Amino acid sequence: MKSKLIAALIALIFSTAALAANATIEMDVDGLVCAFCAQGIEKKLRKQEATADVFVSLEHKLVAVALKPGQDIADDALKNLLTEAGYTLKGVKRTDEPLAAIRARSESK
Amino acid sequence: MSTSLSARLLGAITLLVATSALAKPIAFQDGRTLMFEYGAGTMIEAQAFYAPRYWYSVGAGYLHLEDEDHRFSRDISYARMNYLVHRWNLSSAQANVFAWGGLGGARATDSDLRIAENAGGQADFETLWFYSSLKTDWQHSSAFSHRIDTLQLGVAPYRHRYNGIATWVVGQARRYTGDIYDGTEVALLLRFFRGPLWIEAGITADRKLQSMVMFNF
Repeated sequence: MKSKLIAALIALIFSTAALAANATIEMDVDGLVCAFCAQGIEKKLRKQEATADVFVSLEHKLVAVALKPGQDIADDALKNLLTEAGYTLKGVKRTDEPLAAIRARSESK
Repeated sequence: MSTSLSARLLGAITLLVATSALAKPIAFQDGRTLMFEYGAGTMIEAQAFYAPRYWYSVGAGYLHLEDEDHRFSRDISYARMNYLVHRWNLSSAQANVFAWGGLGGARATDSDLRIAENAGGQADFETLWFYSSLKTDWQHSSAFSHRIDTLQLGVAPYRHRYNGIATWVVGQARRYTGDIYDGTEVALLLRFFRGPLWIEAGITADRKLQSMVMFNF
């Protein structure tokens, strides 16, 4: 019984660490109205070492970045990237929600 | 090659060589823009720009103009710098004011090669459903001077997604000075874009093709 509890605890620690390591960044972006013009956002974010995937929703003024395990992009860097792409970053939120779930949630609304 | 196939091929090439020069002249920092426009038999314009920063781009263009009665033509090659005067990134809209200027060479009917200056500007306002822009483009040399003013108003008939095909129905009104075209040239256009590719084509009130292609990368 004791060994099962220890194994469950270890599994929980590893799964939590894995979730935390695969964080997602959600950004509120102003000016996001044209898919053609917003290509620069995706291009710039995908060039970042920490980026695993990118999702853009014009309707929700949302740009989400799935991070590679253990990596991150600083808020200042995100702000600069959005500015260079021609947009204004209004807010940043980090979440453990996978990018696929954010995509599904955005597209179902 | 059959006449029909040749005509289709010519049409396809014309579409590819045509573009809406009313797109933004600056893509994004480190972005490149290629634009080609075929304007109802009156103008053909090709442009290539590179943006070292998000607020300016540099590049070159070629403009061929022919007056509506085919009495004269003008060929202008130019270098140009585009400058983002101001951008408003709003919650559900974006507005921009651009200005540009440059220098090049021009050859007009019955004249040798002359130095030509160009300048212009564009103001646009866009939401997910509505698009508007007003552009003015001035070209001058010792042999000629003209200005092309273009107004575009567009609506999106359905809600497009970032990775989907965007469709716009656009009305365009264009005026030429310098005896190129008398009156206002009106056109109805269909605009499509997906990813880095933008294609626009339509017909003027004179039943002539108006089109444009643009590529950002």
